[in-house]
Amino acid sequence: MIQNLGLDFIDRTLRTTGVVLLVILSFCLYYLGIYPALAILSGGVWSMVNLMFLSALVRAAIRPDKVDKVKVTGLVLLKFPLLYVSGYFLLKVPVFDPIHLIIGFSVLLGVVTLKVIGRALFGLDAKAQKDENMQEAL
Amino acid sequence: MDYQATLALAAPLAVGLAAIGSGLGIGKAVGAAMEAIGRQPEAAGKIQTAMIIGAAFIEALTIYVFIVFILASGKIGN
Repeated sequence: MIQNLGLDFIDRTLRTTGVVLLVILSFCLYYLGIYPALAILSGGVWSMVNLMFLSALVRAAIRPDKVDKVKVTGLVLLKFPLLYVSGYFLLKVPVFDPIHLIIGFSVLLGVVTLKVIGRALFGLDAKAQKDENMQEAL
Repeated sequence: MDYQATLALAAPLAVGLAAIGSGLGIGKAVGAAMEAIGRQPEAAGKIQTAMIIGAAFIEALTIYVFIVFILASGKIGN
């Protein structure tokens, strides 16, 4: 069965990004050295944590039923300081080149873009919808 | 106006402009998502996913500007 573009798409994207980052890490360790590899990994982890918190925040705040205000406030207070303060300190590490951090940060965006392009090229959304309709009919 | 002064003026301005742009973008995205969920509550999951992806892309632009700002502010002398 083809998976649809539901909320598990985010979890699948995070898993794929983790795998891609590990592959990039091994290549960079071999060709560029330890610090560029660690900077790319840090940038990637930074963007993954950002997406995780963003996803949790949207799931908690934008929903048709009752919203848990304490949870939403907690997530807002945790996400933004954590993201920007950790980003600031990552940029202030003298051995990390900001370009490598940006490359690592962009890996997740690349994975999302390629996944969406792939779905559009192979018409997976239409097939997933067809699967759903067939299951409902059964 | 010398290089340092121009940089000191331009860097915070760039952050401000990026914040305005991102704020407008995320505001429009959330507004449209709320409207869509209101019309079709059963499709909330799919709408939320599309919104999260859009918001991640918009936020990434702000973070790029944040990185450029920190790099530029490091070049401003005392």
